[in-house]
Amino acid sequence: MFEYFLISLAGLAGSLHCIGMCGGFVCVMGKDSRGAAATLRRHLAYNLGRVTSYCFLGGVLGHLGMLLVGDHAQPAAASLAQRSLAVVSGSMMLYIGLQFLGLFRAARWQTLGFGADLLVGALQRLLKAPGAGAALALGVLNGFLPCPLVYAFLAQAAGSGGPLPGALTMTAFGLGTFPAMLAMGGIGVWLRPAPGPPGATVVSMTPRGNAITLAPPPAWRLHGVRIAGAFIVLLGAITIARGVLPMGAHPHGL
Amino acid sequence: MKPSSTCSHCLLPTGRLGQQREVNGEALAFCCYGCYLAYQVRHGERDEPEAALLLIRIGVGAFLAMNIMLFSLLLYSGALGDVDGVTARLVHWLLLFLATPLVLLLGGPFVAGAWRAARQGRVGTDTLVSIGVLSAYGFSAMQVWAGSGAVYFDTVTMVLILFTVGRYLEAVGRVRAARSLAPMLAAERAEVRVVHDGTETLQPVREVQPGSIVRVLPGERIAVDGVVIEGRSECNEAILTGRADMLAKAPGAPVLAGSINGTGQLVVRATAAGGVTRWVQISRLVRDALVRKSFLGNTVDRVAAAFVPLVLLLAVGTLWYWASRAPFDQALLTGLAVLVVACPCSMGLAAPLATTLGIGLAAQRGILLRGGGALEKLARVRAVAFDKTGTLTEGRPQVVDIWAHEATEHEVLYRATALAKGSEHPLAKAIAAGGRDRVPNAPVATEVRAHPGAGLSGRVDGEPAAMGSAKFLRGRGERIPAGWAAGNGTTLVYIGWGGRARGAIALADRVLPEAGKVMAALRGRDVQVVLLSGDRETAVARLATKLAVPEWRSGLAPEDKVRELRAWERRYGPVAMVGDGLNDGPVLAAATVGIAVGGATDLARESADVVLPESALEHLPWLLQLSADVNRSIRANLAWALGYNAIALALAVCGWLQPVIAAGLMAGSSLVVVSRSLNARRGHALRAADHVGFAGPASA
Repeated sequence: MFEYFLISLAGLAGSLHCIGMCGGFVCVMGKDSRGAAATLRRHLAYNLGRVTSYCFLGGVLGHLGMLLVGDHAQPAAASLAQRSLAVVSGSMMLYIGLQFLGLFRAARWQTLGFGADLLVGALQRLLKAPGAGAALALGVLNGFLPCPLVYAFLAQAAGSGGPLPGALTMTAFGLGTFPAMLAMGGIGVWLRPAPGPPGATVVSMTPRGNAITLAPPPAWRLHGVRIAGAFIVLLGAITIARGVLPMGAHPHGL
Repeated sequence: MKPSSTCSHCLLPTGRLGQQREVNGEALAFCCYGCYLAYQVRHGERDEPEAALLLIRIGVGAFLAMNIMLFSLLLYSGALGDVDGVTARLVHWLLLFLATPLVLLLGGPFVAGAWRAARQGRVGTDTLVSIGVLSAYGFSAMQVWAGSGAVYFDTVTMVLILFTVGRYLEAVGRVRAARSLAPMLAAERAEVRVVHDGTETLQPVREVQPGSIVRVLPGERIAVDGVVIEGRSECNEAILTGRADMLAKAPGAPVLAGSINGTGQLVVRATAAGGVTRWVQISRLVRDALVRKSFLGNTVDRVAAAFVPLVLLLAVGTLWYWASRAPFDQALLTGLAVLVVACPCSMGLAAPLATTLGIGLAAQRGILLRGGGALEKLARVRAVAFDKTGTLTEGRPQVVDIWAHEATEHEVLYRATALAKGSEHPLAKAIAAGGRDRVPNAPVATEVRAHPGAGLSGRVDGEPAAMGSAKFLRGRGERIPAGWAAGNGTTLVYIGWGGRARGAIALADRVLPEAGKVMAALRGRDVQVVLLSGDRETAVARLATKLAVPEWRSGLAPEDKVRELRAWERRYGPVAMVGDGLNDGPVLAAATVGIAVGGATDLARESADVVLPESALEHLPWLLQLSADVNRSIRANLAWALGYNAIALALAVCGWLQPVIAAGLMAGSSLVVVSRSLNARRGHALRAADHVGFAGPASA
């Protein structure tokens, strides 16, 4: 359980990264015209969708990891493979965590081309659509946006030994990001000016509104990202230790 | 901190993960790829309500589906205890509870489509999906009710999700293919900034009246025909004229609706109502072209329509065969896989995507195609017949040379222009036009008399002067100096005063500078070239020699041209005829592909399949290349989709394909066809740019 707690804390710290990247969506989603309850429903739906995507990805990767190396019930022959997977996923976490700490340069993300373009187009359309359904859908797709933070915990989920721990890993992470994102939505609603009548006099070209300006200052968020990086490094080290240390000293039981 | 070292999206330092990318022509820095995507989401403009609705369905469906998948995964991996235990039964009920809204939500549109088809007595792809999904859902629900056996809600949900995603991909593909046409299609719905009494309001372009004052911002598309009254800028009129260069616009300069404003702000007074510009006309034409089904597209649709009932039979056969040899579950899944994998969705996608792209690319250069059929026919063309006057030549005589004897060239042109200003004869008009800049002070001659078929006489500044053929001047007793001989294809007009011929002006209809290059490019493509002209033999022969065209006919009336075309068609195969739409209408209609050059007048004429703007003959080889590329893209994609379907179908019938994988294959095939078609455009656009040195207009 301690591990999941750590993951949640990492998510909480890392959500300062989320605010920068996805907080804008939350702010734009803003207020529902049918009142505060509807607005809250909309933001809960968004976060539910997002966490469900994480949870699903975690379950699938946990399952795939298990298929690859066999589960805990299997004899020692599989155990070497399991240990190797733990080392591999732990190393990936270290790699991403150290990047968050700014310690070395990462390989450039390759453009996904048509796929990325599709995702962008889909999010754009959903962002403008009203209702809790659209918010849920936005959250679901948002969960698939490429994000190094998510990748780090997916690496852990893959090495967690099964669909259930995999799903729980990602759920813990998702719940960690929940408060900040929900709060962000609240701030966005609070500070958002009332929309003017549409199609009125045009003064100039539309200025580029950026909801990011409402977020905490970058310096804070940078600290948050660093803390998240430190958590990921710690969790990565635990995962590697699970692969390297003798069976009895397995920190999984912590 | 330098601005470039912070992420343009989340404002964190870009750090070592950072990357430079370009969005909407702006160089920006991002801390990660995700922020780059998120930035695009926030700063792009895309609102299509239908697409949003489909997306909400997909998103909510995915939410339910992910839960179903996760619980199924947990159940079958044994994480929730024994597969036959109480927990398992509870999970089955939970799955049913989650799957029911999903089937209603995502299956609804398919069932509705199947119902519509059934009422018209047809069996469509929607029918296949509906039958497959509903039978698997019904079977699983019965198993839950009975409390025993395996359930297949995960299969049902995945098939539905993947098919809906496939539909979405198709929709996006279509939108994407027509993206370059979007401003054109929206021409009638465009909004303009109308300035009235010092305030500026947005108004639909339809409401713009002649005299309205319209403000155009830098980079905007001009939506009205008018005259600049304030500001300086430069405009790209490629979409109307085919010319890629920027034209300077200062107060007093005319601007055309559809052109793109450059870097300055312009205030324009409309000279025509907003709803009747050529731009709006083009918009309607393109919209018509897009909905016209091409021959190939039609054939594919008919084949697909015949294919669907066969698949249904095959699926029933498969179910029956496997039911007698394996448990019913397995037979049901095999039948479902057959239904799902054989959906000919991607086949119907290849032709419309590629032709839409082709029509859009051509429109960027001002070339209008009357439907995808025109592209298909162009690709088959083996010979091109050209009209001469106005197609390969400028169509009006011009002053090409001046001789003077005991006088200056200026004196000769001065008198010639003065005389010419008094006449309506085409040669006189050409001389008057030629003298407009060089002798702007030339008066209009007095006492001008026309001598039909011979020349003009009159007084210039009080002194008698005459202009006309050598015979006319000799008849007036004037001596012609030796050595003034008409060059090839030129007409000589002599000017005399004071009792002798003192000058001569040579006039010729100039060959378009790009004509030679176009002919060479056509020959390089192994396309035969013919000249069919109504002009005199010598003139046509000379042009043919100059352009190195071996075959030509002269002195042809329109009906002779039609006869000639038929003969060429028998010899070489499909022939395209390039001519002006006014005089050659019937000839253009008789050719395999009629290509009209120039004139806004013939936009609405039905005789031509292709309308080239006035100065766009040079785009002809490019157009042939485009049609060949479009055709290749369609055929390759069709072959690909057919092969893919056939192999997948064979695997499914043998029971080697899970329904979920089958659905994934189908969504994948839609994705492949869409991205292949869209990529074909990129390849073509690059190659084409090299081909004719056309920089391409900024897509605004």
